Amino acid sequence: MTSLLRRRTKPESADAPVISMVDVGMTYPNGKVALADVNVAIPAGDFVFLVGPSGAGKSTFIRLLIREHLPTHGNVRVAGRDLLRMRRGQVPGLRRRIGIVFQDFRLLPSKTVWENVAFALEVTGVPGIHIRRRVPQLLNLVGLHEHAHHLPTQLSGGEQQRVAIARALVHDPAILIADEPTGNLDPVTSWEIIQLLIQINQLGTTVLMATHNQEIVNAMRRRVLALEGGHLVRDEGTASYEREY
Amino acid sequence: MPFVRFIGFSVVRAWQGFWRNAMMSLAATATVVLMLVLLSGLFIVITGLNAGLAFIESKVAVTARLEDDLTSTARDRLIAEVEAMPGVASVAYVSPTAAMERLEQSYREIGRTLDLGDPDSNITLFASLEISLADPDASGAVSSAVADSDDVDRVLTKQAEYDTLLGIINVIRTVGIVGITLVGLTVLFMIINTIRIAVYSRANEIEIMRLVGATDSFIRWPFILEGVLCGLIGAVVTIVLVAAVWDPIQPAMVTIFQMPTAVSTQFLTTLSLLLFGVGLGLGALGSWISVRSYLSATR
Repeated sequence: MTSLLRRRTKPESADAPVISMVDVGMTYPNGKVALADVNVAIPAGDFVFLVGPSGAGKSTFIRLLIREHLPTHGNVRVAGRDLLRMRRGQVPGLRRRIGIVFQDFRLLPSKTVWENVAFALEVTGVPGIHIRRRVPQLLNLVGLHEHAHHLPTQLSGGEQQRVAIARALVHDPAILIADEPTGNLDPVTSWEIIQLLIQINQLGTTVLMATHNQEIVNAMRRRVLALEGGHLVRDEGTASYEREY
Repeated sequence: MPFVRFIGFSVVRAWQGFWRNAMMSLAATATVVLMLVLLSGLFIVITGLNAGLAFIESKVAVTARLEDDLTSTARDRLIAEVEAMPGVASVAYVSPTAAMERLEQSYREIGRTLDLGDPDSNITLFASLEISLADPDASGAVSSAVADSDDVDRVLTKQAEYDTLLGIINVIRTVGIVGITLVGLTVLFMIINTIRIAVYSRANEIEIMRLVGATDSFIRWPFILEGVLCGLIGAVVTIVLVAAVWDPIQPAMVTIFQMPTAVSTQFLTTLSLLLFGVGLGLGALGSWISVRSYLSATR
């Protein structure tokens, strides 16, 4: 495992947060306020939950971090980069520093497990020799080396999510964003995925996980950011939360 | 090496994409073939007529029929005067005997004999000056200057034939260009739609590519090359078709249009280059428009 992801003994910079939002607001063209005056600083190496009801602004929060959207006002910095000043041509470089997984896995159904992971390397111009070395390492990490030549449809939901995680890690990102990664999974499988995310976090990768799963948040006792109506209503370390979203 | 990898990646993806969406790709390629066949036809006709025009220009442009009683001194003086006129390339004297021999020769070429009736009738033709022009536009000035001479009975020019042929060429060229443009726009539309369907059918792939940090070039170029592939295959098919009918066409171009053989042998090469250029250009333009609009809309 340590050979797969570079262990960040002093992740990024202990002082500079790997994610920071200062007075961030985001209003969509139709007038809907998605985020309002959000201030967040996430140090490198943290494991943070992002919670809130549907429409609270979680997706917008994530889209701002990967620079899919720009804030209407305020400042966003990710992995040392000022996203407002970033040129369009620099966005791919930012996204290689961020791995992202989704509730619906977003695997390519016509490609095998191996090809799905390799695809993320091929499309960023990584040489074939590195791809052939890197993909088996990642499949070992997520425990899927025996399924390398299976199609996603031949895998369980938990296994598909593991493929998505392996794909998200191909560039050894500083941050892993998991958007409802257990939303489609049964409780046992959900805990397996959480264990995998903890392992990845212990190697120094900052993990931001958006979830509705109250049981997981309470059991993990990690920092929780709670959004409601676009406002950050709670930011507590080792918090639990009782509200059922 | 990164560039070679990029090219290899783009070409492989374009080839896979072409066959993944085979029906639409082949339909777009068929419209490319249709347009390029029309373009070939127009190019053949226009080139032939231009060659015919050049042939007329190279022949006698002005003929001056001389008075019967002209002395050789006066004739030589007139020749010297005409040769000195601006735009005149050369002047040739055709005697009545030579004119008669030409007439008889032209009858023999069509399998007939010139019948002058009574051999004692002593029919003769006019002597004439055949004036070649260095500049076809000087035809009017030269013919009016020659007509003013007292030694000249009548002036005949090829201007009317020249103008008629030029008019025909202009009409064909205009109609052809309008037709080709309309077909070209149809081809462009087909390629745009084909690539758009390809892009939308791979929207998930494109989204994943963006999320994992692929640059726009890696996303865009496989689709552009897919459009180029439609144009390339269309051009190759058209060239094969033209080459297949080239044997009967070539002698026709030489005889009908008076096209020099040297021009006709280069013609297929020129036409092939034109077809490749138009095919690849339309394919690239159509797919570029399609991918650009999609990437801008989903950025």
